[in-house]
Amino acid sequence: MEFDWSAEDEEHRREFREFLAAVLPGDWEEIAQHGPGSDAQAAFSYEFCARMAERGWLTQHWPTEYGGKDADPWRHSIIGEECWAIGEPRGPQYMNVNWIGPAIMRFGTDEQKRHHLPLISQGKVLWCQGFSEPDAGSDLAALRTRATRDGDDYVIDGSKIWTSYANHARYIILLVRTDPASKRTRGISVLLVPMSTPGIEVREIPSVVGDRYFHEVFFTAARVPVSCRLGEENAGWDVVSYALQFERVGAARYARAARTLDRLVAICRERGLTRDPLVIDRLAEARAICEAARLLNWRVIDQRAHGSPPTADTQLARVAGTNADRHVGELALEILGPEAMESGTFADANFRLAMTAGVAVGATEIQLNLIASRVLGLPNE
Amino acid sequence: MDFELSDDQRAVVDAVLALCVRHAGPKRAVELRNAGGGCDAALLEALAAGGYADIARQEGMGLLEATLVAEVVSRHAGVVPYGAQAIVAAGLTDQPLVGPVALAHDWDLGEPVRFAAHARTLIFGDDDGVRLIPLAAGDAEPVRSDFGYPMGRLVSDFAGRGADLGAGAHARLASLWRLALAIEIVGAMDAALSTTVDYLKVRKQFGRTIGSFQAVQHRLAECKVLIEGARWLAFEAAHKGAPAEGTATAAAYAAAAATRVARETHQLSGAIGFTREYDLHVWTLRLQALSLELGGVSGHRRVLAALRWGLDTDS
Repeated sequence: MEFDWSAEDEEHRREFREFLAAVLPGDWEEIAQHGPGSDAQAAFSYEFCARMAERGWLTQHWPTEYGGKDADPWRHSIIGEECWAIGEPRGPQYMNVNWIGPAIMRFGTDEQKRHHLPLISQGKVLWCQGFSEPDAGSDLAALRTRATRDGDDYVIDGSKIWTSYANHARYIILLVRTDPASKRTRGISVLLVPMSTPGIEVREIPSVVGDRYFHEVFFTAARVPVSCRLGEENAGWDVVSYALQFERVGAARYARAARTLDRLVAICRERGLTRDPLVIDRLAEARAICEAARLLNWRVIDQRAHGSPPTADTQLARVAGTNADRHVGELALEILGPEAMESGTFADANFRLAMTAGVAVGATEIQLNLIASRVLGLPNE
Repeated sequence: MDFELSDDQRAVVDAVLALCVRHAGPKRAVELRNAGGGCDAALLEALAAGGYADIARQEGMGLLEATLVAEVVSRHAGVVPYGAQAIVAAGLTDQPLVGPVALAHDWDLGEPVRFAAHARTLIFGDDDGVRLIPLAAGDAEPVRSDFGYPMGRLVSDFAGRGADLGAGAHARLASLWRLALAIEIVGAMDAALSTTVDYLKVRKQFGRTIGSFQAVQHRLAECKVLIEGARWLAFEAAHKGAPAEGTATAAAYAAAAATRVARETHQLSGAIGFTREYDLHVWTLRLQALSLELGGVSGHRRVLAALRWGLDTDS
């Protein structure tokens, strides 16, 4: 057991920070306030990810045959921390490199790999994920959007909801029911669907948590070739389970929370709030919470680095990261007071970005269920 | 970066586990208390004979290994000042000390201090530094306490007594002490939680096991998140040689988690949890004692804020 970064890793972090300083625009803080789904951030992600790809960093953790460098998961985690800490300049593309690409590598056909992986590793494509439905949120296996086989095509009918980035995305990784008689996790397949397919309609759902954060995506007799399917027919649940293990620690929320906290301290100092022992106490409490989340997330990265199969430690990390993000978001409101009511202020922007932490990518309660059963061995009802 | 135990570390943990199963445990802690309270001399001797008392100073070993051992000893409710000896004393000085060892600050004078009435050496911190003081009869008197450790009150003023460890020792004492506290809290929290989980897997009400209720499961799962966070904070701080900010972070997090885990495990265990025949109190009352030591949660946080951001109320 040891907790030191190698000299190479430290050098990598330093180099990446220099890169960030060089390529981020002067108004980046302003752009980042609106969330990765905003027009400005989505547009910037093309420029930023292409620059990262030029340096060989965007998908360095991928195998060389797919445009990576076989870098270990720690290396990629450094990029993730640095990016999330400043508001994710990769925009929606963090999903591509963290788990959509790896899912295609694991389950894709040669043709799918040849088409999709270069687009992702060169930073040239935005994806969205079509998982949740109006009646299938936390209970994802209740999904009803169906894909009916018609010769060499699937015909898709149904709707998805809460879909981030749907307005900008070129592809959607879509969960559909391919066996209408099936129940729950059986009979589900994954399709890689171009968003330009006729019969797909996107509607924004205005929200309080960031620009263009949520959408509904409607499918009306949308027709795609069977070759769009990722993995075996009716075995899509395995694909999504694999992908979600990456996604749940893909977003380094603890890193953003820790950086937001440091900025909050700087603001407190300017305002003369840092002589208040109660403020000091709350700031330090938040710091410890961020640090604990960092280590639980690192634990999962370490397991990946050892090549171990995913465990429920992923859920511990996810809950801790969520707690840190929300804790700091709420603390900024509490300490800075009513000024946070004004839109665009530091506390306002961070609070609203942190609000979704316990819901996005699976509600905290679902993670707690998994910890209870898989870590503590508690019985189901 | 590597979160896995090395083979050597695994061997140490397994051996101490076996040792504690033989020599420690909640029943033994209760027995000792019923016999008038005191330090578990047999356990201390077994730990020393196994080479674990000074493991931090051994070739190829260090504070991390002492911390791994301390967690196991605490999980098995060992009635010994293992952290004070193997982490604090070992980290402070190369001098062999006569054990048992107690830790105190000048502000602890007159207050209940763990092991004070049974210790033969006192590691004593005040504004002038840190002194190693051989304790004599009359320096301390036992204090009746239900909080899981033999408590004593230091009644001498110790002016001019003991060997001074010199400049810098004061901050070092606090940092090592925080590491020891953090990992002892982790061990006790983990034991309290697993005792509770085991009980709730078999205890039935309304025709089903209590542990199958989601309202119960979520609270236990949240405790697990706190415990694992505290554990890794302590391990990281130990591996880095107990840097002051790292140990303040670990102790601040652990001490806050301690009261939460103690409260939740008692609430979910119901009335049986308050009885002396049931083990839970052995750990939960200790958790209270540990969470109050060395300035408690707010004290650890004050140090963390000072070291992380240079904040203090006078700045």
